[in-house]
Amino acid sequence: MNQRTFIGVILCGLCALAGVVGAADVFLEATRPDFQKIPLGVISIENNGGPDWLGGRLEEVLKKDVKRSLVFELMDLPSLGIKVRDVGNGAANGSKAIFKQAAENGVSVLVWGKAGLKKGEKEDDVNMEGFVYDSGSDEVVGGKRYAGSPSVVRLMAHRFADELVFRYTGEPGIARTKIAYVSAHGAARELFVMDYDGYDARQLTADGFLNLMPRWSPDRRFLVFTAYRDRNTQDIDMIELATGKRWTLVSYGGLNITPALSPDGNFLAFASSHEGNSELYRLDTRTKAVQRLTTNPAGELSPTWSPTGRELAFVSDRGGGPQVFLMSSDGSNVRRLTFEGDYNAAPAWSPRGNWIVYVCRTPRKEYKLCLISPDGQKRMQLTTGGGIDDSPSWSPDGRHLVFSSTADGKSHIYMIDADGKDLERLTFEGTHNSAPTWSPAS
Amino acid sequence: MGITSLRIAMALVASVAFLGVSGCSKKSVQSGGDTQSSQQGKTAKSESTEGSKSGVGNFPDTSMQSGGGSGLRGLDKDPSEERVGNSLGAGPGGSGVGAGSLLAKADTSETAARQMDEIRAEQTASVAAGLRDVFFGYDSSTISDDQRQALNRDADWMRSNPSAQVKVEGHCDERGTTAYNLVLGEKRAKAVRNYLVELGIGANRLSVVSYGKERPSCLEHGESCYQQNRRGHLVVKTGK
Repeated sequence: MNQRTFIGVILCGLCALAGVVGAADVFLEATRPDFQKIPLGVISIENNGGPDWLGGRLEEVLKKDVKRSLVFELMDLPSLGIKVRDVGNGAANGSKAIFKQAAENGVSVLVWGKAGLKKGEKEDDVNMEGFVYDSGSDEVVGGKRYAGSPSVVRLMAHRFADELVFRYTGEPGIARTKIAYVSAHGAARELFVMDYDGYDARQLTADGFLNLMPRWSPDRRFLVFTAYRDRNTQDIDMIELATGKRWTLVSYGGLNITPALSPDGNFLAFASSHEGNSELYRLDTRTKAVQRLTTNPAGELSPTWSPTGRELAFVSDRGGGPQVFLMSSDGSNVRRLTFEGDYNAAPAWSPRGNWIVYVCRTPRKEYKLCLISPDGQKRMQLTTGGGIDDSPSWSPDGRHLVFSSTADGKSHIYMIDADGKDLERLTFEGTHNSAPTWSPAS
Repeated sequence: MGITSLRIAMALVASVAFLGVSGCSKKSVQSGGDTQSSQQGKTAKSESTEGSKSGVGNFPDTSMQSGGGSGLRGLDKDPSEERVGNSLGAGPGGSGVGAGSLLAKADTSETAARQMDEIRAEQTASVAAGLRDVFFGYDSSTISDDQRQALNRDADWMRSNPSAQVKVEGHCDERGTTAYNLVLGEKRAKAVRNYLVELGIGANRLSVVSYGKERPSCLEHGESCYQQNRRGHLVVKTGK
């Protein structure tokens, strides 16, 4: 090969690379059906001078995170005959055997850790160390050391789980993500936020009236939502999570509902009925200019952005019942997406771009979750049963959905894999939990 | 081919790499095409409310700041200690304010207490007035003939109480989505208002608000309960 062709090869390689990086909808495809999960075993998180519960708690949280990541196959080491207790510090204690044994049983990655607690003057200090081994070697691939108050034990495990996902996929993981939702307090509905696994719920508003349908800002600092001023008027408000500070973004008369910030945070799409019936608008968050996107005697609502920000899916009842439509984010090129059934609403566009989830009413008049591809070619019903499912929202990795359902009587919040497997209930307290919305990854 | 051509080649490689990187980061910040398309929208749509800023408040920048990063530092063979904080909406280490400060502040619970008082006052006034609710069919915002009887009597009361202001609340049963039920609730409330206006009640005495399926009067699951929740609820306004 002469030099010229050699340079040509380099240039073309770069072109191809630039092409891939530039294409907005190309993601690492761990949602493909042929994706092979990475077999991972957790040897143990041992107690190293802490209370009895500490190591076990960390280990339990870590294992659940690993399983939910859907990147790893959590291997049950004891059932493979691999001793997981009292291993000591891996190779140092002469337990090279377990690394070999694990590799022979197809376990690619092994995790081991220890945790302790130091008594402090004001507050105790928890520390955790985690180490990763792979390919049957007893040499540490890498590790983490965390410290913090006892209240952040779960967060330590979440961070470590996300580091594992990051190490093997380059994705940030979802174990540190949050879910905002609405919870009833008497006749009032207030905003709450909890960890993605349902723990550590915190109350954000205390107005004593209705606060509805929160959505995250892309940088996770804010929630936008519908609030009722003096019970008579709906505004679109924004709250800063770190401080509880609030702003009113939109306060036209009539309905002001279903706000959604664009992926770059530069636009707020929302529905308002101040010019008659419910129409879609787009607010430029920098100039505060508002552009009307739809003009139709029917109701339009529930805009959801494509991951590129170029398109919106939304609901319109221009055909009678509500159906999901698509349009460009400037309001042009409107076309209907759903045709099956007479009630399809609450769409949410997958962060990977390949699916739109929505609430579909089945022929048996049940309200379930359905998926449809943005080209309308593929459609499937995701959930079954008699519960009323509502408000689906994607995890930032596009592998899970969170939604509300009355499957167990009262409305509670559930998580489900995007392939319909592993339904998990997340809330158990309270009389009515609804409108969950998954934060972006950090 | 000598050293010069090699230099040119390397410069070419570097510039292509630079183009690739800058093109890609621009895209993620600008979400390509939006600027152009919004201008098209302005000229194409006469109903654009561009420039009418009333109803839009001032609020902080929600634009995605570049360089946010994942907060993950990667595994390390000899890891240094990371402190894990317990905060919301803050960076990786957690510099935001903790949970306690977000919980029911004194002023917000005063708001809640005031709202409770006002709701009670409205309920008392509405019961005293004997105002009747209007009930709707499944998925429907059409007022049936028998339901018009209730509204005829409500209109009578409003004629004999000409200074009274009435709020029409639109409600739905728990079936369907939170969002669409807010639209349906507004259609119901407006249907009630429009009928009362047809009966000669001044539109300026009537306000509408939709509560969707968020303030049901009956909490069971089943048609007997659902039909009580699909209603236009008339409330005598006592405050502003």
